[in-house]
Amino acid sequence: MRRLPEGGTRIDRSSDLQFSFDGRKLNAHKGDTIGSALAAAGVRVVSRSFKYHRPRGLLCCSGHCPNCLVQIGDEPNVRSCMRPVEEGMQVSSQNVWPSLRFDLLSLSRFASRFMPAGFYYKTFIRPKWLWPFYEHVLRNAAGLGLVDPKTPRGRYDKRYLHTDVVVAGGGPAGISAAHAAGARGASVLLVDENAELGGHLRFTSSTSDPKRAVVQRLRSELDQMQNVHVLANTSILGWYRHNWLAAETDNRLLKIRMGSLVAATGAFERPLQFDNNDLPGVMLGGAVLRLRHQFGVVAGTRALVVTANDDGWEVAADLRAAGVEVAAIVDERTASACASPHTVSLADEGVPIYFQHTVLKAIGAGEVTAAMIAQVAKGDEVDKTTCKRINCDLLVISVGWTPDTDLTHLAGGKTRYESDRAEMLPTELPAHLHVVGRAAGTHGLEAQLLEGAIAGQTAAHGLGFGARTDAGRVAELRQLKSQESKRSSSRVSVPAGMAKKRFVCLCEDVTEEDILSTIAEGYDSMQLLKRYSTVSMGPCQGKMCSMAAIQICARETGRSIPDTGTTTSRPPAAPVSLGALAGQEMEPVQLSPLHAWHLMNGGKTMVAGRWIRAEHYGDPVAEIKAVREAVGLIDVSSLGKLRLTGSGVPDLLQRVYINKWRKLGVGQSRYGVMCNDEGIVLDDGVCAHVGEDEWYMSTTSSGATGMYDWMQWWIQSGWGEGVHLTNVTEAFAAMNLAGPRTREVLRDLTDIDLSGDAFPYMATRNGEVAGVPCRLLRIGFTGELSYELHCPSGYAVSLWEALIAAGQAHGIKAFGVEAQRVLRLEKGHIIVGHDTDGLTDPIMANMEWAVKLDKTDFLGIRHLSRVAEHGPRDRLVGFKVPAGGAKPEEGMQIVAGDDEQTEVIGWVTSCRMSPTLGEIIGLCWLPSELGDRAGAEFKIHIDGRSQPARVWHGAFYDPEGTRLRI
Amino acid sequence: MLLLNCPNCGPRNVSEFRFGNEYNPRPDPATTTEDAWVDYLHLRNNKLGVQKEWWHHGTGCGLWFLAERHTKTGEVLRTYLWRPDSDSGTEPEVEAKR
Repeated sequence: MRRLPEGGTRIDRSSDLQFSFDGRKLNAHKGDTIGSALAAAGVRVVSRSFKYHRPRGLLCCSGHCPNCLVQIGDEPNVRSCMRPVEEGMQVSSQNVWPSLRFDLLSLSRFASRFMPAGFYYKTFIRPKWLWPFYEHVLRNAAGLGLVDPKTPRGRYDKRYLHTDVVVAGGGPAGISAAHAAGARGASVLLVDENAELGGHLRFTSSTSDPKRAVVQRLRSELDQMQNVHVLANTSILGWYRHNWLAAETDNRLLKIRMGSLVAATGAFERPLQFDNNDLPGVMLGGAVLRLRHQFGVVAGTRALVVTANDDGWEVAADLRAAGVEVAAIVDERTASACASPHTVSLADEGVPIYFQHTVLKAIGAGEVTAAMIAQVAKGDEVDKTTCKRINCDLLVISVGWTPDTDLTHLAGGKTRYESDRAEMLPTELPAHLHVVGRAAGTHGLEAQLLEGAIAGQTAAHGLGFGARTDAGRVAELRQLKSQESKRSSSRVSVPAGMAKKRFVCLCEDVTEEDILSTIAEGYDSMQLLKRYSTVSMGPCQGKMCSMAAIQICARETGRSIPDTGTTTSRPPAAPVSLGALAGQEMEPVQLSPLHAWHLMNGGKTMVAGRWIRAEHYGDPVAEIKAVREAVGLIDVSSLGKLRLTGSGVPDLLQRVYINKWRKLGVGQSRYGVMCNDEGIVLDDGVCAHVGEDEWYMSTTSSGATGMYDWMQWWIQSGWGEGVHLTNVTEAFAAMNLAGPRTREVLRDLTDIDLSGDAFPYMATRNGEVAGVPCRLLRIGFTGELSYELHCPSGYAVSLWEALIAAGQAHGIKAFGVEAQRVLRLEKGHIIVGHDTDGLTDPIMANMEWAVKLDKTDFLGIRHLSRVAEHGPRDRLVGFKVPAGGAKPEEGMQIVAGDDEQTEVIGWVTSCRMSPTLGEIIGLCWLPSELGDRAGAEFKIHIDGRSQPARVWHGAFYDPEGTRLRI
Repeated sequence: MLLLNCPNCGPRNVSEFRFGNEYNPRPDPATTTEDAWVDYLHLRNNKLGVQKEWWHHGTGCGLWFLAERHTKTGEVLRTYLWRPDSDSGTEPEVEAKR
């Protein structure tokens, strides 16, 4: 293989790049793919195969076969024929040990007669205890590239696109379709996996066709159309319901919503089954043309061209023009079936021509040095007496096409095997789908252009753009298509009998022999054959092998191809990186407006649902002490805050809360609990009646969004008469000033009368504090005199700093979530979602006092009526661990019985060492008969030991609640 | 990614919405039978065919609305706001296209 002195549409010869392949320094031009640069440097073996570690070289040069997969740094399975070379790129071959040239594991080819289809299923299942050893060996021997678990996370993203028409594939038919739809005003996305448009025109040699100029014109006009956009280097991964496509480009997943899809996906060239058909040097015709015309590289010095259509003759003529000696042309057709204009010229130049011949075998150690050909006979047979050896270093296979119908199938289209064409072609298509060009079996350029134009026009018309296609053009297309010649061989391979490997599936190293034995074992439907032999399950997903496997299966079972069935197309239709599917690292968090203050003042943060909160400021015990003895300030901005207005609010509250709301006067607030109709506690919080028709509700920090959605649902499905609900969680900051000296701090900052008579416990007032408009709620989660101050978020820092400054003289400390958890536990208050779970009703949670069964209706009434009647099975109760006992952790189990028979009867939900009381206290679930008895002893299972504890009813600290009411 | 027609915002990707379960109106807890109540709380029809269901435009306008969707094909026949007669099922029937 070598670089020609000129030619190559994609390379810039004035610009040189250096890269390495397995440590060897190689040169490339800008625009080269890794594959083309390797070919230009004469590298023929690019990889080793999956199972037998056989040497493999470039085969398709179009990104479909597995032969050229390489590793670039930490990125495995890169298609080297698609990826452009970059300066300094370090490329290595995959699946080799110890090296590409000498691979010890390739010795498995000598053992391959012992590795038939289903080998793993049959061999490695017994004895089971050896499996870890098998697994270790197999994992090393099989598989493709290496994943480096330390790979830094790349940047990936998603993008949403909306368009009237998507044209998938930018060959002549696709360009024509995009042009036709665009000209009628529809917005069009033309998507192609290659760097530039043109499809087969980018590398086919015939310049004589005047229609090529038409494609050029249409292509350049596309750039002028504002409503047509071209997405190059973009592979389509799948079609999904409600008509959208997933595609990937440049680490970005595209989600393209469309009106209509025109699939102009082209066709893959078909490999042929013969002995050693995987030897480096065996290449498809299209690959040879791509290398020459796009990169100025010829793939050999002496070529044997094996064909079954006129396309192969084009390749032969092209190679000759590039100065490659053509050893022979082997065409399985009769001379009369061949219509190529090159027959005469090639014959004149003395190229040997063998009609009604085919190739039997490639010969060579490591790469092709010769091939054996023979005359074809009836069916798939050959006349072996006519065997003839021809020396060559390039064996070109051009025997037919497999229309790329993956996208057609995914988008709901059906295909049918046309035996006179030997191709699967689209038949029944849904209204949103059009299939054109080689994907529809249309090979003639004029027909491709017309078919594309009609599809583009029809798609646009269906979406309300432009006129219907006139019948005359449709008839013209039918006429053109009827003149299409058969381009694909119906022959599969010569029947088995020769010894060497003949690969059907290059990805998984499945040979024709494997398929025959799979069928012989009874797996003779395509779906079973696929699963058992693994044919078509590799990286190419059947693009190269599916048709051959179907043909062989049909031949061996004596069925027609339609009766043999096919495998199901599933996304992804092209390889996709998992990073693109995962997208950006998106873990949004919510921050209080006071977040920066916490960080600057030693706050240690913690994650609380979506919020980042201050857990403590270095010494939670001192924070607890400040609240109990002086005054403390905590940021509770994460509380959910909902504003309700309208005359219907009391009715709504009456229904969504388990307790009563009708008599709550303006300026008063109440603690409320919400349940669902199963009687399960959803959320709790304080709701204040702040104006004639205005209420202010707080929810738990984690419940804010959920409870807002929940109430909106009831409001919008019939309970919303006279209610308007707004989520103001982020609009307001909230902070709780708590402790016996609270009034002394607030007094200097506000005119509000803070006396117990004027502003009693559970009242709410509006007013200015330190010049900031505030709503004050006198509530007491911590068990001390406390005011919760709500102010617009923008004033939060100002208010907070004023409170801290005013509190200095009184020993104020900022306190965090940890101190608050201890303070509330000392009061026996539960935290919904922490002490309760998805099975907790309020009666079990000791909130029976809040359940007002005499209301007409509320969410949960039916369930709670029954529980109230029979009593709950379990109870959430307090407990104390006797002095000197071990401290249980949250989640630890409560056990009953002896060592012989131990039963789990409950668990601990909260537990702390109370610095105020000097005791270990907690909350736990116990069976009612035990939990109902204050002082009853039970055992907590800690690290294999039983720690006794005693049931405690009510608050541990200030059970009468006098400190709240001072 | 279905395309849902929010009665307020128009057609949007389903990723903006949250499924709110099949339509399942609440019987009067005071008068309903035990069977009807259990049915309301716990039993879902998991219907193959056109299903009436709730959707919430959570990352959009916040609307809860009803959709009639074919559970096999994914086709959404119509979307509309809840009305008092939605509960009685007397709203006009629509036919599936396929």
